[in-house]
Amino acid sequence: MKIEFTPVIGLEIHVQLNTATKLFCSCSTDYIGAVPNSNVCPLCLGLPGTLPVLNSRVVELAVRTSLALNCSINRITRFHRKNYFYPDLPKAYQISQYDLPVGEHGYVEIPGEDQEMRKIGITRLHLEEDAGKLVHSAADGRLSGSSNSYVDYNRAGVPLAEIVSEPDIKSASEARRYVTRIRQLVRYLGVSNGDMESGSLRVDANISVKCSDGRWGSRTEIKNMNSLKALEKALEYEIKRQSRLLEKGEKVIMETRHWDDGKGITRSSRSKEEAHDYRYFPEPDLPPLILSEDYDRKVAESIPELPWEKEKRFSTEYGLEMEETANLTENSAMADFFESCLKHGASPKRTANWIMTEVTRALHEQGITIKELKIKPEDLAGLLVMVDRNELSNTAAKELFEAMASSGDDLETVMDRSSVETGGISGEKLKVVIKTVLEQNQDVVEIIRSGKDKKNKKTKFLQGLVMRETKGQADPREVAEMLQNMTEE
Amino acid sequence: MAISKEEVKRVAMLARLDIDEKELESMAGHFNSIIEHFNRLQVLDLEGINPFVTEDTEGTPLREDIVREWGKRDIALKEAPDAEGDFFRVPRIMGEEN
Amino acid sequence: MDLYHLTAARMVQGIKEKKFSALEVLDSCLSRAHSLENHLNAVITFSEEKARENARKVDKAIADGEDPGLLAGVPVLVKDNMCTDGVRTTCASRILGEWKPPYNATVVDLLRGQGATVTGKTNMDEFAMGSSSEHSAFGACHNPWDYDRVTGGSSGGSAASVAAGYVPLSLGSDTGGSVRQPAGFCGIYGLKPTYGLVSRYGLIAFASSLDQIGPFARTMEDIALGMNVITVPDKRDSTCSRRERPDYTEALRTENLKGKKVGVVREFQDYKLDPDIQSAVERTLKILEGEGAEIVEVSLPVTMDSGLGAYYILAPAEASSNLARYDGVRYGYSAPSDDLLSLYFKTRKEGFGTEVKRRILTGTYVLSSGYYDAYYLTAQKVRQVITKEFNNAFAEVDSIVMPTSPSPAFRIGELLSDPIQMYMMDVFTLPVNLAGLPGLSINAGFSSKGLPLGVQLVGPKWKETDLISQGSILEKTFGPARIAEGGAKQ
Repeated sequence: MKIEFTPVIGLEIHVQLNTATKLFCSCSTDYIGAVPNSNVCPLCLGLPGTLPVLNSRVVELAVRTSLALNCSINRITRFHRKNYFYPDLPKAYQISQYDLPVGEHGYVEIPGEDQEMRKIGITRLHLEEDAGKLVHSAADGRLSGSSNSYVDYNRAGVPLAEIVSEPDIKSASEARRYVTRIRQLVRYLGVSNGDMESGSLRVDANISVKCSDGRWGSRTEIKNMNSLKALEKALEYEIKRQSRLLEKGEKVIMETRHWDDGKGITRSSRSKEEAHDYRYFPEPDLPPLILSEDYDRKVAESIPELPWEKEKRFSTEYGLEMEETANLTENSAMADFFESCLKHGASPKRTANWIMTEVTRALHEQGITIKELKIKPEDLAGLLVMVDRNELSNTAAKELFEAMASSGDDLETVMDRSSVETGGISGEKLKVVIKTVLEQNQDVVEIIRSGKDKKNKKTKFLQGLVMRETKGQADPREVAEMLQNMTEE
Repeated sequence: MAISKEEVKRVAMLARLDIDEKELESMAGHFNSIIEHFNRLQVLDLEGINPFVTEDTEGTPLREDIVREWGKRDIALKEAPDAEGDFFRVPRIMGEEN
Repeated sequence: MDLYHLTAARMVQGIKEKKFSALEVLDSCLSRAHSLENHLNAVITFSEEKARENARKVDKAIADGEDPGLLAGVPVLVKDNMCTDGVRTTCASRILGEWKPPYNATVVDLLRGQGATVTGKTNMDEFAMGSSSEHSAFGACHNPWDYDRVTGGSSGGSAASVAAGYVPLSLGSDTGGSVRQPAGFCGIYGLKPTYGLVSRYGLIAFASSLDQIGPFARTMEDIALGMNVITVPDKRDSTCSRRERPDYTEALRTENLKGKKVGVVREFQDYKLDPDIQSAVERTLKILEGEGAEIVEVSLPVTMDSGLGAYYILAPAEASSNLARYDGVRYGYSAPSDDLLSLYFKTRKEGFGTEVKRRILTGTYVLSSGYYDAYYLTAQKVRQVITKEFNNAFAEVDSIVMPTSPSPAFRIGELLSDPIQMYMMDVFTLPVNLAGLPGLSINAGFSSKGLPLGVQLVGPKWKETDLISQGSILEKTFGPARIAEGGAKQ
């Protein structure tokens, strides 16, 4: 009987919190592009006699994120020392949290395989300080082959929130959806840029495979996945690798493996058995952090509408489909833009559609975000309202849209400039145009009247002529209806 | 429980201390004496005691999130045993943790 | 009379009254120090230039009619584990090399802010680990009362320098007795404040939850003066209490001890003490009784039996972590090496002394996987029990009297080969650190061999004022500490 393999995946996500200063000192956290070792001070350099002082805003962001993840907040939370030697760790210990993290026992909902929502458990959220950066002297920048390494402590001490999931994730694509969701959340909350490529969001995976015959392979830790794509590929590879071993009756070694994106494989880096003895003990330089219920409540009030709350609301309030709401709420700026348009009178369906098509295309073409789009919500709304009222055809509207997007001028201005007539061409005006077209194409009209236009090819031909004459300023449906009526006369 | 020289070696590695054979003997001996004192603690009744009591704690103070530049990073680099430009330099890292 | 004989309080008074200048005082103290340094080896680094500069500043301020502060023109010394901006700070170790901190410890700023002139850094046990100040990369410190004997430790240099008249006031640090015990061995006053009263910013850490900085002086008045200066709250130390501090000199005005209860520890009665120490304790109790105090017996069974074990688990554990940063990468001594591991091993092998290595190993061991629960966690629980025992005792009494050490100063080299015997020197002092309480060692006369005798007063948290008032009352009988002259063998 063929054995079935079920992946069991847990993810550890490190989120760099976007406070102005580091976790325990007043150095700037703005290290990208900074001169090496310029955002440093005696504390984050690990000079003797220095002592940590906790950043109040870090606490706020950690509690905010924990609450959004439905965690319970510990009244008393404490820091621990994690001891090991490495040049990027200035004190030879990292101040982290061990048994009393900020938040525990939470969950987050993500879309499942079948569009049903799936709950992924959040074991904990805890705070820790980031390490410095090492640059190796070898030409390819790799550790092996380098005779020296260079240390930059700008990043040392930057605050990280580590979010640990329960091993509830069942596939590589689900892992991707989970990370996407967490990334979306931290951006919504404004606690982090959540960018994998620049390192403000880092993912490590713990993965094992369960066999249908009762065996359960050992767990490996996968590191060095620097994008969502890499994450998915790495996990898919690892699932296959472990399944193959188990199928052959072999054992999976419990170890840490690195994802090699170039070769598309994971390779062993260190046996987890020789795992570090970190000698955790409570940080004596920091009394416990006491979080009152009052404090939690205040922080809770600062939490904006969460992505899933917004999705639900958009669905019920605006009658939108799941794909539409997901798209619109992907980031909060887009969602805000959408709702702003609605405030100025545009209809939900049409606005949603335009955002997903024209707006998205414009952003893509110009390589900008919604915040940088030159069109104001009121102007887009104005445009769409006219389309709704048949005062403007889609084609004409698109033209005006392009004009606004490239020039940055408002609706009135671009309309004045263009040859587009408001109100479009309809009713009596349209009748005149159709009459002219019919008169000029009597032979075609005859064919239609005689019932020989079985495939409506001739009808469509006439419609096209009308549209061309009206320069697209007529509503196609009105044209079709009116044309039919007038042809039959 | 007597401490073996192997144990001392393992601990020395964890602490990045290079202990030679002679020192190993004396260290192991010292360990065994002090552990006698440690073992006296085992006979105590410590049931239900919270080792990290926080009754009278003032709680950890919080600092405002305002950037303050140190301004002396050049001195720090100058004091470095081996600095190159803006970096601290270390010799070859072989098979170390990452 | 030479100016170095004056107490800090009299120096300040004289300088402000323009009877003499700060520079004159400094010169007197420096020449006294230099005359004895060959014998005592109490100072690792003198910073004379800076001190003279500051003394001149004080004199100018006085001339301009300004008030330079509570310690105007007083020469002081600080233990070499307190950072001094631009002045080499060694912790009596090779591993810091010639490192000069780019900042001052908070206490140094506070001293200077009140007009004191920091004249140098004193000798100590390496990284404050020791009870004799013999474990120093710069050679042992000698007792001013008998050059063949130890000063006690780890703040030996700070104690000796006050006892010998180099300065009227110095600072030490106390983790398991390192201020009180050398105060006792050198015949002066030494106070370890409640944990959290004095900022540890800039104090190079040994055991973070036990370390506390305290003053040495020859009079209780100077102790109180020193306390007023150094106990200012500091935001840079998260363990420094934000509570309001009293004026410690107020406590000097206590008339008597009527209504006060003084405790004696039942379990200490069984301890084999040097007979002179025994008499000193008894004499102290008699004086306190004479002043109206009631002597009450209290019981600290776990403290007496398990304090040493708990301390020698916890202190080395924290030390092993605090000293891990000394690796030759960012500052200090760095052994030339081809690879990183060698750098770590060689630097630390060559940079650290034997006692430090012993404690790092012990500390690493008790924290390591498989041993954490049995040792570290257990010790923390015992610490709670000890704290509770003291708290219960202080429900009955206002202070506890006990010896500072089991014996007066021992000979140099006498206990070096027996580390555990050396650890036993702290059996009466280290429980006080475990419980975070304040402790004062007073000068209680001399032994039949002419060696100073110290007696310890311990109080509940934040009650330094009570200790200072009892100390000043005892001072009326025992007298202020004398400056050691000669140091010839008795």
